[in-house]
Amino acid sequence: MNTTATTNSAASSFDDSAFARFLEHRIDPTWLTTLRRNAWAYFQSMEWPSPRDENWMRSEIRGFRINKFAPNIEENVAIPETSPVRLLDGVNAAGSLRSINGIVTHEELDPSYAARGVVVGSLSQCAREHTHLVQAHLNSLVSPKSDRFSALQSAMWTGGYFVYVPRNVIVDRPIHIHAAMGDGAVDMSHTLIVLEEGAEATILYECASPSESASGFHCGAVELVQKGNSHLRFVSLQDWGQNVWQFAHQRASVGRDATVQWTVAAMGARFAQIDQRVALVEPGARSQVNGVMFTRDRQHLVFNTLQHHVASHCTSDFLYKSVLQDRSRTVWRGMIKVNEGAQKTDGYQRNDNLMLSDTARSDSIPGLEINADDVRCTHGSTSGRVDEELIFYAQSRGFTRAEAVRMIVTGFFQQIFDRITIESVREALGAAIARQVRQYD
Amino acid sequence: MWPVSNKEVIINPRDFQYACELGELTPGKPSTFEVDDRFVVLVQLDGQVYCIEDLCTHDGGTLGDGELEGHCLVCPRHGAKFDVRNGHVTCMPATENTPSHEVKLDGSRIMIRLND
Repeated sequence: MNTTATTNSAASSFDDSAFARFLEHRIDPTWLTTLRRNAWAYFQSMEWPSPRDENWMRSEIRGFRINKFAPNIEENVAIPETSPVRLLDGVNAAGSLRSINGIVTHEELDPSYAARGVVVGSLSQCAREHTHLVQAHLNSLVSPKSDRFSALQSAMWTGGYFVYVPRNVIVDRPIHIHAAMGDGAVDMSHTLIVLEEGAEATILYECASPSESASGFHCGAVELVQKGNSHLRFVSLQDWGQNVWQFAHQRASVGRDATVQWTVAAMGARFAQIDQRVALVEPGARSQVNGVMFTRDRQHLVFNTLQHHVASHCTSDFLYKSVLQDRSRTVWRGMIKVNEGAQKTDGYQRNDNLMLSDTARSDSIPGLEINADDVRCTHGSTSGRVDEELIFYAQSRGFTRAEAVRMIVTGFFQQIFDRITIESVREALGAAIARQVRQYD
Repeated sequence: MWPVSNKEVIINPRDFQYACELGELTPGKPSTFEVDDRFVVLVQLDGQVYCIEDLCTHDGGTLGDGELEGHCLVCPRHGAKFDVRNGHVTCMPATENTPSHEVKLDGSRIMIRLND
């Protein structure tokens, strides 16, 4: 299906009248309207996060003014698609979804997969056409009560992406999702991926702005629901413009003997705060999360991660690596939480930070909360500067300083590249990293 | 319509920029203002106006809610102190200075030049 992207251009803000008009323009099933109304009530009753909140005390959001942005209320203004696509090189995708400003403009699925019951489509549309599937899982992991951003997102999400893989169906080619956001626009999309027992899929998700300097407001949510023995590879490349504000809640629930490999690359945004949680809810579940952050100028990226061992005999492995330039800042707060009775847990988390300037700053806060007595949980964190001797050595062999720094940065990220089994993703990440490296004198 | 962005107006950070009116400051009490997407603390003390970055170099928190002890602004979180006259750190747990910014008065308008 191809449609024209449309957003509302009427001046308005995120207030009661805008929400009422938003609902008027929706064609949602009743249960979804009720969900939205409840979430809006939470939004109205909550305060914006403050520096007194543990998760926000290292987040500088005073410069964020929501009234600078207008919600997407109706769907009637065409917007040209100009954002780059980076993850599709050499990929023969089984299906694809594209959106502009949180409104799906293109959806496609190889008929052979559709015949086996696979669903790939706009979440808004699927809420009507596959209502029992969506209703059972939407907001099952991301609660609108988490904070004011999650409440707003739950109330006013648009478009969205829904991927459903039925029992024992293997989608052996990637499904590609591309989210574009115009300069000064709003994207409030919601990603819902459901894998039934024995299902397998690879999702390549990327988001981008039309230019490096673009602004915008992304308030999003990701829910990955995995039943027993399912296997998911989820890749997310965030390449918003340098003036975008991003707030997102991302959750995965992993069932018995299921595996998730989640790769996150964060390159853009002026400020981004991601609350990422993986819950291992049945024995034998395994998760691997690989994170890459590469920042410059005054970018400020915050990742709060939680590896939640709900059941016994589960494995989690989180590795986040950041490279910081200029006056940029990253914050990583990682927690391994082991529930009472979740014995034989194997949890690992690590965060490495490489500073390329004197004025960059990284805050790394790993944590453990263990309520079982037969577990193996370890964590580590390193932060440091580039070794000038390495650069000097490379320069003595004929490389420029920029080339030397690029080599060192690539080597720093190599541990994550080694974990990524999809070549197009490795290449896209490598190219994104090369673009970010400054030309140092 | 989408909100009009002011980013077409290119501001050289080396230029003096308007921060606030002198009357908005209470002598001896820090006040926070946003200038060119950055937050700064202004203090009127002994007939002078000083400006430092609203940033504690210890944990990256804000200083604007802190209290003055002499010429020093005390971080409300962990007690680090910064001299408002030059941004120099004078008390642990911070160990690095915070940027200070040049101030000038244009009538009743307080103008500051952001120090990168």
